[in-house]
Amino acid sequence: MNAAFWIISAITIIGALLAVSLRNLIHCVLSLILFSLGIAAHYFLLRADFIGAVQILIYIGAVAVLILFAIMLTRNVTGTEGPREVLGGKWWAGSFTAAILAVLLCWAVRGDKIAAALSPGDKATSSIAEIGRILVANWVVPFEAMAVLLTAALIGAVVIALEEVMRRR
Amino acid sequence: MSIPLGHYLILSALLFSIGLCGALTRKNAIIVLIAIEVMFNAGILNLIAFWHYRQFEALTAQLFAIFAISIAAAESAVGLALVIAVYRHYRSVDVDEMKSLKG
Repeated sequence: MNAAFWIISAITIIGALLAVSLRNLIHCVLSLILFSLGIAAHYFLLRADFIGAVQILIYIGAVAVLILFAIMLTRNVTGTEGPREVLGGKWWAGSFTAAILAVLLCWAVRGDKIAAALSPGDKATSSIAEIGRILVANWVVPFEAMAVLLTAALIGAVVIALEEVMRRR
Repeated sequence: MSIPLGHYLILSALLFSIGLCGALTRKNAIIVLIAIEVMFNAGILNLIAFWHYRQFEALTAQLFAIFAISIAAAESAVGLALVIAVYRHYRSVDVDEMKSLKG
């Protein structure tokens, strides 16, 4: 259990670092897939089986493929850019902000007594039948709102991406 | 010996900072979207870790995670459509060149 946590954490952090730092866009997406697999493995380790399966289905099955299509539609991938081409202006300010945030968050977690006192129980159940039941019993309004949001996002994405074609007519 | 909750919190704090660093420093809009996905995942990992350690009877945290993952998917679809629209307009996905609204 302990070793699994450290190995999966290392894979996840390496995947995240590579995903935001590599020059070749395709390699960035492959690193994002590695990162998503690590997060899904963490969910399985935390006994949230359904969330892990959803993570794999949505991130690796849908989002990564979507990003790959966007890369193919927008630019040719050469991977021969210099560092000035990769980093935007004032990149030092962004790195400084992220470093300050990391230090502050770790400091806050270190000093927290409530989180340190919690221990995992053994009655963790995440039966998919139970999730489905409360999804349509207690949470039916957010569920329907999510359906409307996804429909709106689908139509909105098509309308935005087709903007130029419609203007040309 | 099980893992304390603090380890998960620090892990997701580090992942969130990595994502923030990528979103603030990279020039390519698609990498900025990838970094935002990394930040989303760090937040959802926090939810699931708290659910595992508190052992709530209700599976509320898992439903929050499902809703957050759905919103992340919708956000990435709209974001990538916007990137494609911007690319058609500017012939580039460089966020430093998108400054029409700059005062």
